Amino acid sequence: MKAPAEGTLRGIATFLATFGIGVATYIAIADSGGGSPVCIAGGHGCQTVAESSYSHLLGVNIAIFGIAGYVVLLACALLRGDAPRMVGFVFALVGFGFSLYLTYLELFTIDAICQWCVASAGLMTLLFVTNMMRMLAYVGREP
Amino acid sequence: MSGRSGREARREERPYEDGRAGAAERRRRLIQLGSAAGFLGLLAVAVVVVVSGSQSSGGDPGKISGAQTVNTLLAGIPQKGLVLGEPSAKVTLLEFGDLQCPFCKGFSEDVLPQLIEGQVRHGEAKLDFNNYTIIGAQSTPAGAAAVAAGEQERGWNFVELFYRNQGAENSGYVTDAFLTAIAKGAGVPKIAKWNAERKSKRVLSEVAATTAEAEELGFTGTPSYAVGGRGTAGIETLGTPDSAEDLETAISGAG
Repeated sequence: MKAPAEGTLRGIATFLATFGIGVATYIAIADSGGGSPVCIAGGHGCQTVAESSYSHLLGVNIAIFGIAGYVVLLACALLRGDAPRMVGFVFALVGFGFSLYLTYLELFTIDAICQWCVASAGLMTLLFVTNMMRMLAYVGREP
Repeated sequence: MSGRSGREARREERPYEDGRAGAAERRRRLIQLGSAAGFLGLLAVAVVVVVSGSQSSGGDPGKISGAQTVNTLLAGIPQKGLVLGEPSAKVTLLEFGDLQCPFCKGFSEDVLPQLIEGQVRHGEAKLDFNNYTIIGAQSTPAGAAAVAAGEQERGWNFVELFYRNQGAENSGYVTDAFLTAIAKGAGVPKIAKWNAERKSKRVLSEVAATTAEAEELGFTGTPSYAVGGRGTAGIETLGTPDSAEDLETAISGAG
């Protein structure tokens, strides 16, 4: 299967990363106020997940790591060349793996689903696919 | 003549083919490098997750600790049910917490001691713990055990000792053995009575009722606080304050 043009992949990645920054920022701001994100569809899933110890890693809200990851992915999407192609792939792979772990925790340990976390996991999955296609198809080639 | 021109043509193509082979080789190496870096990145995150997880101990009925600290903190302060403090105190500070909640544990250890040693011990306010079971199914038996301990005037000892030995939420640590170990550590005098009451419909209903009350007050997280006193119009919600000073200010304002 022929990969889409690199410009198309970069455009998709730019959109996804920007959206991801928005989602992660909302979660971080909601948490910093002592509350929790509001599940749009109702229920206490977002609250339960935000209250859980898994919402923090080494004392830092996971959403902060998410913002940092999305910012790097956005920068990689905006830049040309092999370095952004490879760094974008590495960050998207790590983000995708971490999202899988968090989704597993929500389903089998915390017993609650946060829609915002699911949205972020979905975005990260799409970013992983986009960045993987970009690296495999275009690394080592002229920008 | 034609053989010679063929050789020349092949000689001219060789650098081009060498260049293509070199570019393919470079691409292959870059992809290998990217894959290896991605693998290492995943490994690094896994290590951080494992290290972070190993820092949260607790939930072991054989290793209950902190009873002395809790007993010293609460010594000499009257308790009735899950209310800590002089019954005549003008201000009531209501806490809505979940015994499985790690933030509540943080508040219990870092924020409340200042308040208990100050305004509660001096009779200016009383602290009323209410279960707001939002973390998971194990929050209810934990909360019911605290209510039952409160009926023997050891409710706050139970709550505080539970927080100091809290395990990872919904990990299955809230067992009969763990709750019994906490009750014994908290100094609940009649364990058999406590054991029967914590499973009673009456006590379980009380846990459900305070959870419903928290929702009616509009709380969205734990721990959440509300204050009642002469300076308030009924119950005023505070949400989750940032510090003990914020709670002290709210109590002073309500008095």
